[in-house]
Amino acid sequence: KKGRGPFRGKMYSEMNHRSRNRGGPGVRARLEEDDGDVPMSEAHDGPRNRYLPYGPRPNRTANIHITVRRDLPTPERSSSTSRDGGRRNWFKITIPYGKKYDKSWLLSSIQNLCSVPFTPVEFHYDHNRAQFYVEDATTASALKQVSRKITDRDNYKVRPFLPALRGRVRCWHALPHAPPQSLQNELKPEEIEQLKLCMSKRYDGSQRALDLKSLRVDPDLVSQSIDVVLNQRSCMLVVLRIIEDNIPELQSLNLSSNKLYRLDDLSELAQKAAGLKILDLSRNELKSDRELDKVKGLKLEELWLDGNPLCDAFRDQSTYIRSVLDGHELPPPIAFDVEAPTTLPPCKGSYFGSDDLKVLVLRFLQQYYSIYDSSDRQGLLDAYHDGACCSLSIPFGPQNPPRNSLNEYFKDSRNVKKLKDPTMRFKLLKHTRLNVVAFLNELPKTQHDINSFMVDICAQTNTLLCFAVHGIFKEVDGKSRDSVRAFTRMFIAVPAGNTGLCIVNDELFVRNATTEEIRKAFLMPAPTPSSSPVPTLSAEQQEMLAAFSMQSGMNLEWSQKCLQDNDWDYGRAGQVFTQLKVGLVG
Amino acid sequence: ALTRLYLDKATLVWNGNAVSGQEELNKFFEMLPSSEFQVNMLDCQPVHEQATQGQTTVLVVTSGTVKFDGDKQRYFNQNFLLTAQATPTNTVWKIASDCFRFQDWAS
Repeated sequence: KKGRGPFRGKMYSEMNHRSRNRGGPGVRARLEEDDGDVPMSEAHDGPRNRYLPYGPRPNRTANIHITVRRDLPTPERSSSTSRDGGRRNWFKITIPYGKKYDKSWLLSSIQNLCSVPFTPVEFHYDHNRAQFYVEDATTASALKQVSRKITDRDNYKVRPFLPALRGRVRCWHALPHAPPQSLQNELKPEEIEQLKLCMSKRYDGSQRALDLKSLRVDPDLVSQSIDVVLNQRSCMLVVLRIIEDNIPELQSLNLSSNKLYRLDDLSELAQKAAGLKILDLSRNELKSDRELDKVKGLKLEELWLDGNPLCDAFRDQSTYIRSVLDGHELPPPIAFDVEAPTTLPPCKGSYFGSDDLKVLVLRFLQQYYSIYDSSDRQGLLDAYHDGACCSLSIPFGPQNPPRNSLNEYFKDSRNVKKLKDPTMRFKLLKHTRLNVVAFLNELPKTQHDINSFMVDICAQTNTLLCFAVHGIFKEVDGKSRDSVRAFTRMFIAVPAGNTGLCIVNDELFVRNATTEEIRKAFLMPAPTPSSSPVPTLSAEQQEMLAAFSMQSGMNLEWSQKCLQDNDWDYGRAGQVFTQLKVGLVG
Repeated sequence: ALTRLYLDKATLVWNGNAVSGQEELNKFFEMLPSSEFQVNMLDCQPVHEQATQGQTTVLVVTSGTVKFDGDKQRYFNQNFLLTAQATPTNTVWKIASDCFRFQDWAS
């Protein structure tokens, strides 16, 4: 990498690498770890290369500690670097406290170490920082390469004053950046003439309409290698001037598909085309409706914004219309590009696949949840395989508001997207049936609304049944009493007995129920697919019910069902219940 | 090309609609509008070998938000069974089953 290109060679000969043995002035690089100085977020898992060239300034014995850090571009940034078509990538180099060094000394010192000749563009100071731009990633990474050179430790000791500066590792940022202002495309006069010609072809005099959609890829411009990038200020201003000079009576302007991410450059549009009534900004990159504030003064009758990121921020069309068009004084009706009707397949209820499976699964769920909702979930031991696994998760992010928070579930929540620690990941996966049931017993007491249950049978083989249950429950005691939750629970089971299921995997996802879900929940009296309306109970029956509920530990709904099914024969009901509990599988 | 990730006999249950086999899956995904997913939560468990007859399988459970073209943004839950298929040179994971539901599927 050394000595590449004439420019490089020249610099190299000026600098004397061998000087380090003499302890004279020379530029050195040293690798030094410093975890304290640079705040790195989780997302930055790119290489963190640092180097510290310390080279004395002429007449001074100060040392520069410079580190190079390359931030990985966020999606936003990478789209910003492609604004100019992505033909070049610009990087902004920042050297904190660079101001205190002599500019030419600083740049030549860096160049001495850098294997690639670079041209610092727009070198300037910002407070104490020295900043300049370099073109392309190779250059930026070459600057990084220098960081790997390792110093001669002995020489380090030669400079006793060094310890004072040692602690201060400065960050030299190399960040992807939009092309510097001065280098943005400036059109030459003859290019402007061609652009004018192109625009006139796109102008419909009868409608006073100018169509500048996808202007950059216009064949006439492309064939002459004229690059008109409308999201760059200079180009937009040229276009506006052409409009102002030639067609100030313009009434309709189509700027769609031009990667416009802001409307600042259109601020003069209202003056230059005062009669403009129709403006099409669709299929651009506008992220916020506030962009429209920048084109205040336009008295539009039609405004097209579909296909911009800002559209997604609105939940429904009416909010969108109200929010965007407020203050624009548009007379109704508003020509609005209505989003294409949804072509999503219709959503259906439970999918069982077959009636047999439906019966099997529903019966399983009834039995399972009657115990789950009881005061002691120990009865579930019979439902699980010895080697069963169970884990819990809750939503991450906006779905989990502080009010009615899912605190009780939080500590057991296993979200491996966020949780990286392998020990914790291991701990949060409950394994073996004893651990599983012990865990379930610690969770808040519940009452499930079995009528709310929706089941999707996902997979079935001779040895496996995998299904998802979605539904609603409420907590019946504790701090979150009466909180209504929604859940999605994955069960994987193996066959047991003739017609039973034995759970091998159980994954429970709990979230807060929505207002809509709460409204619909617990409306009907309890369960059973084949139930007839519940008759009012006699006093004797009520007594029996209370006693049965207490003895069995089942809630009233289930106790009543059990008694009913057994013709209010207390003894028989008790027997059946015990059998059920023991042989949940059958 | 999404169907390449699925076993030949895999099943997708999408908001209660069952789709089975490569051909149907192909048609289904083609017809589905384009989408943008954000996965916020992910949990997984090894599936017990008794259920899989020894074929290494993982249960993956996810949730987050999705925006389909022409539809509002919604919360979803999606669960997969991923199964390992050993080839002479390496192991390839395929989707044996896929179950997707909007949390507000009813509205």
